[in-house]
Amino acid sequence: MAETKLVKFEVLRFRPESDKEPVFETYEVPCMEDWVVLDALNAIKDDIDPTLSHRWSCRMGVCGSCGMLVNGRPVLTCAAFVRNYSGTIRVEPLSNFPIVRDLVVDLESFIEKIKSVKPWIIRKIEKDAADGEYLQSPEQLEEFKQYSMCINCALCYAACPVLASDPEFVGPAAIALAHRYNLDSRDEGNAERFERLDGHDGVYACSFANECSQVCPKHVDPAMAIQQAKLNDFLQWAKVLPKRSFT
Amino acid sequence: MSAAHATAPKTPTAPARKPSGFPLGFYRYRNYTIFAFTSIPMAISLACLVIGVGALGQGEEAWQAWLARQATPAFRAVHLFCLAFTLYFAIRFGWVGRKIGAGRIGPLPPPPLPLPLLGIAPIGGFVTVWLVLVVILGGWLS
Repeated sequence: MAETKLVKFEVLRFRPESDKEPVFETYEVPCMEDWVVLDALNAIKDDIDPTLSHRWSCRMGVCGSCGMLVNGRPVLTCAAFVRNYSGTIRVEPLSNFPIVRDLVVDLESFIEKIKSVKPWIIRKIEKDAADGEYLQSPEQLEEFKQYSMCINCALCYAACPVLASDPEFVGPAAIALAHRYNLDSRDEGNAERFERLDGHDGVYACSFANECSQVCPKHVDPAMAIQQAKLNDFLQWAKVLPKRSFT
Repeated sequence: MSAAHATAPKTPTAPARKPSGFPLGFYRYRNYTIFAFTSIPMAISLACLVIGVGALGQGEEAWQAWLARQATPAFRAVHLFCLAFTLYFAIRFGWVGRKIGAGRIGPLPPPPLPLPLLGIAPIGGFVTVWLVLVVILGGWLS
């Protein structure tokens, strides 16, 4: 049998039917060398305390479901190796989101914000399917490609100090996505997104802490997207740029 | 949305928690908080300047008195304090500000120089102006 090491985990628990506020519970988990924090949480649920609730799915850093705070920092727990931490490992739900249960947070506001920036290609007149696909050069793709790597894990929202004081701020992932579509040569929805990005809780609420980019597990740079979106927003407002896509 | 879903009571939740280590516990948040705080020392320096302009308008005697006041040890300490935060502001802004320039802004032509280089010029100018101001305000010229 593979060798294991006993690791102590402090996990924030919240059971709405009995807890007035979240409390930490400690578990000692025999961890194998190649385990990630998610493996340890699954071991707690399977072998120690089946009442523990947490989200996960793909276990390979793609689905974005297993984002939590590990020792205070927002990470994907499927990519956080236990061996990289020393001493007790503290696991908490994502900050800046209400806690539904244990490590599960309410992502409704996040989904609504993403939806509000219309992250899909908008065309004034749709081409007929028989006329073929919309062509795009590699250079045109390169302009927005990094922003399309977002997996909606919400780590950037958990790290954002602006959201901590202004929960209505549209937030890093949503703005990065809006910017991604505004930069897409096939898109014509700039004007429709302008109203959402230009508002009080839009791009100008960002005070450039840069923490969103620091924690992004896919190396997207939402802070850069927001600053560039500010510039584009201003140029649209000043009518230097037409309120349409850059095609 | 189904009628049952629409009328279902909202799941009770615990309130959202602030980011761990904000505002001063974690070094990256601390750097950001100090960056935000720099507005206060910079406002103090600007207030000194505005008062100086007012003194200038009141004639030679008021201007000399204002200059003499700025050269006292207490005011020099204040100006050095403000300068330290202004330098911090410039360094931090130079670091994060690299991201502000878009590679391409709509139909506008790309800038002739790499954007980070373009960013250094205003930041360098900004720091230079503040250094000159501190030297004047602190009376080091006299």
